[in-house]
Amino acid sequence: MSPSDLSAELVTLLPRLRRFARALTRNPHDADDLVQLALERALARAHQLRPDAALAGWVFGILRHAWIDELRARARRERVFAPEESGQNVGDAGQGAQVERLSVHDAMARLPQDQCLAVALVLIEGLSYKEAAQVMGVPLGTLTSRLARAREALQAMLGES
Amino acid sequence: MMTFSDETVLAYVDGELDDATRAALELAMATDSDLAEHVARERRLRARLHSEFDPVLAEPIPEQLLAAAKGTSAKARSDYIIWLKRIPARHWSWPQWSAVAASLILGVLIAPLLRHEPTGEPLGIRDGEILASGALAHALSEQLASNQAAEAPVHVGVSFLSRNGDYCRTFTLRDKSAVAGLACREGESWRLAALAATGPATSASGEYKPAASSLPPVVEGSVDELIVGDPLDAKAEAAARGNGWRR
Repeated sequence: MSPSDLSAELVTLLPRLRRFARALTRNPHDADDLVQLALERALARAHQLRPDAALAGWVFGILRHAWIDELRARARRERVFAPEESGQNVGDAGQGAQVERLSVHDAMARLPQDQCLAVALVLIEGLSYKEAAQVMGVPLGTLTSRLARAREALQAMLGES
Repeated sequence: MMTFSDETVLAYVDGELDDATRAALELAMATDSDLAEHVARERRLRARLHSEFDPVLAEPIPEQLLAAAKGTSAKARSDYIIWLKRIPARHWSWPQWSAVAASLILGVLIAPLLRHEPTGEPLGIRDGEILASGALAHALSEQLASNQAAEAPVHVGVSFLSRNGDYCRTFTLRDKSAVAGLACREGESWRLAALAATGPATSASGEYKPAASSLPPVVEGSVDELIVGDPLDAKAEAAARGNGWRR
């Protein structure tokens, strides 16, 4: 695929990339930053895209990696800036616990990352089990059991269990 | 009555069943109200997720993301960023120098910090490499992240062992230069691996990001690329300093 073809495909994919990122992060600005990073990395790695590979899955995979990098960096920053930030986190958790029914977004944010990704890829982005398992780099059975646990947790948090 | 596992019900809702199983499940739903309710509940969850996140699809796409998809956003970002690791360290040619000089960063951000003669300035050039000098070099060698004054002019962040086997440390200059960077130990010097403004950095969406609690993304990115394992804890940091930042 030529660089201009890839760019055109990425532009077409942009709304879905933004939705995917929004499902992973709590903050819309963080989500767009993540999309931007994924786009830059995708263009820089265009040579790694196999001709027969589904572009959406490939870019979702890049975005997923960027998100994992970001989470690692956040964990590191939290360690460095623990005195300032630990207070804020405690406040957040306390407020959340008082809310009886969570919003869908809040509930998603409380899932373990692996489960959140599985939900975003399959239930929101509509990838097949096989495609989603490839994006996450796990066997099919791992994906389906994550999905099952995530759904159970979401139903419970949303008052539907 | 035929029973279906939870896994099969979920696969049905996700459109993953083969034709025969799907037909059997749909037939059973007509008479098994528990099964029908299970399917309905899973469909409601899907619908709630879509009603929460689908509105994103209709939002206008920020210009900056369109530019990124077209590969034309590099310039906007590099105005405040210098990728020192991408520049061959020792033999900078004039075109390379002028390319760097042409970007906003060297004119506005770096030039005031940079001196060819050893002075009190935080950066210096030796053999074509940008090295920490003055108070910055001193802080990198002596200051411990676990024990530093809040008002210290240099704030040291994380220290870690890099893929290249040397110690690297992030720092933020708390004076008017408002830059943050990553420096790695090379012999008796600290070589700059990344440097970026902490000042007017904005996110993709144009929102201002306060610099106090985080490093610029380019510096974080360099850490991510170079780090091996976890950052040093306070004890390991002190031990590394005690050993002169040599392995």
